Amino acid sequence: MHAVSRPLELRLLLPLVILVPLGFAVTHIAQTGALDPGPMGIAVGYVGLMLAAHLALRLVGNQGDQLLLPCVGTIGAIGIIMLNRLPQGLLGTNAFGVQFGMATTQLLWFAVGLSAMVLLAGSFRDDGILRHYKYTWALAGTVLLVITFLFGKEVNGARLWIDVGPIAFQPGEAIKIVLVIFIAAYLAEKRTLLAGASARIGPLKVPPLPYLLPMIAIFVIVMLVVVVSRDLGTALLFMGIFLTMLFVATGRRSYVLLGILLFIAGSFVAYKLFGHVRIRVDNWIDPFVDPNDRGYQTVQALYAFGRGGLFGEGLGQGLPTISGRLPIPALPTDFIFAAVAEELGLIGAFALLALVMCLVFRGLRTAMLARDDFSAMLAVGLTVSLGLQTLIIAAGNVKLVPLTGITFPFVSYGGSSLLACFVVVGLLLAISHRSVVDAQIEGR
Amino acid sequence: MTGEVLRILLLALQLGFLALLYLILVGFSRALLRDLRSAEVTQMASQSGIGKLSVVESSADEPALGTTIALGPINSMGRNVNSTIFIDDDFVSGTHAMLTFRGRSWFIEDEGSTNGTYVNGHRIDRPVALSFGDELTIGRVRMRLER
Repeated sequence: MHAVSRPLELRLLLPLVILVPLGFAVTHIAQTGALDPGPMGIAVGYVGLMLAAHLALRLVGNQGDQLLLPCVGTIGAIGIIMLNRLPQGLLGTNAFGVQFGMATTQLLWFAVGLSAMVLLAGSFRDDGILRHYKYTWALAGTVLLVITFLFGKEVNGARLWIDVGPIAFQPGEAIKIVLVIFIAAYLAEKRTLLAGASARIGPLKVPPLPYLLPMIAIFVIVMLVVVVSRDLGTALLFMGIFLTMLFVATGRRSYVLLGILLFIAGSFVAYKLFGHVRIRVDNWIDPFVDPNDRGYQTVQALYAFGRGGLFGEGLGQGLPTISGRLPIPALPTDFIFAAVAEELGLIGAFALLALVMCLVFRGLRTAMLARDDFSAMLAVGLTVSLGLQTLIIAAGNVKLVPLTGITFPFVSYGGSSLLACFVVVGLLLAISHRSVVDAQIEGR
Repeated sequence: MTGEVLRILLLALQLGFLALLYLILVGFSRALLRDLRSAEVTQMASQSGIGKLSVVESSADEPALGTTIALGPINSMGRNVNSTIFIDDDFVSGTHAMLTFRGRSWFIEDEGSTNGTYVNGHRIDRPVALSFGDELTIGRVRMRLER
């Protein structure tokens, strides 16, 4: 372990030194009308954390992709500015007898997440632990899922939370990563079998089922528990990740087609069986049928997009509160994209999506440069998990697909989600580091 | 301070914020473009091989530890000096195994060797498809298949 330099990363991180305080200042001036920048503690803390993470990556000698951290840092900057701008009492934590506001809590989670990222990027030099114990990982994930289902606490009709001391923890986020590791290890091992031999039934090429069964079995168990615990956004996300990885591993369109057909059938059954799925879908088709109750959040989000226009209402100037409460209750989590679009406009929303695209691009590049199949599959799965999650929640916000309660990576309020996203980036950095080092050894 | 001035100031600050955000994006896209161009160059420079073996563990000088062996589509492996991949180890048979690239995948087949051919620690008894990252053990030499 010897220190390395990451000049590009530093150069791309430096604009944050201006961007974050500027955002905080605009918000403060707009909200108070006073001509002073206001309290800067959280802004300074945020920029400091990002620069510290950069230094830490250099110290642990990670030579991986230098665009990942600046990309994440800029996406997160928009998030922390928005969260700081909202009423702080809305959400937050009461830990160790101290009440933390929403932005402060998020900042603390950024610190935890970045530490986890650096730890993974620095220590994960050999993928053996992940690769060889794939069934252990799958088992651990499934057990965690079942525990949540049995003992978790219910919020908004879905049982997703486990209380650990003062912290409520969302195991779904951890299971997402474990599932990706398992599928990547499984597909890396069986790739040639899956892409090669296949049985035929009439004109249809059927996948060699015996090889697929262990993976499908675990996947079905996960999906069942997720669906029964009514976490449908996560179910959609898992399905998308699974199909993408299967397609990348085999190059077979028939698998994807089969998967999509199964998903449509499953969605139809869910629509018939679960009341709250029906509400979501009905809201999606026409939220204006019941704009004051069931369609309320969706309608308010659409108004927010409309008010934002091209350049936005201005930081700190949008999101009118109705008698001290936000128009959209789930604003800091599910609807943060609507808030960004209202205050920064179409231009700002585009910038945010472009940043996520950049992140996905770098993730897929990491997969392309990876030296072995497992690393490549892992990088694809992790990247797709971030990209798809953004796509699903952003599309839900603009009423392109039915709204499902998942977070916008690095932007939404929430510790479990933030930590999981940073674990993803940490693993990508580690994979990327290995291929860079291998290329150097070869070039010598 | 009048409301009008404040309004103009806020508008200017807001546009400044958005402009800075886009400057950052320009920085990212320039880095991305530069990367794509350099990737093109390196790809042109290196012959796009179908794979290689890197020697992870070796008891002999041939192949030496830490070296990589570029692979053609058909590679015979063994202690016979005419083998494509010559392995100078006492536990290796003259014609030990055959490593071939067919269609999209690599396959390894044991050619009736005395001490066997191992893939990821398991002895093979029929041709086996390999993934990149798999480890072959022949005699006391362990090699990893890489892209």
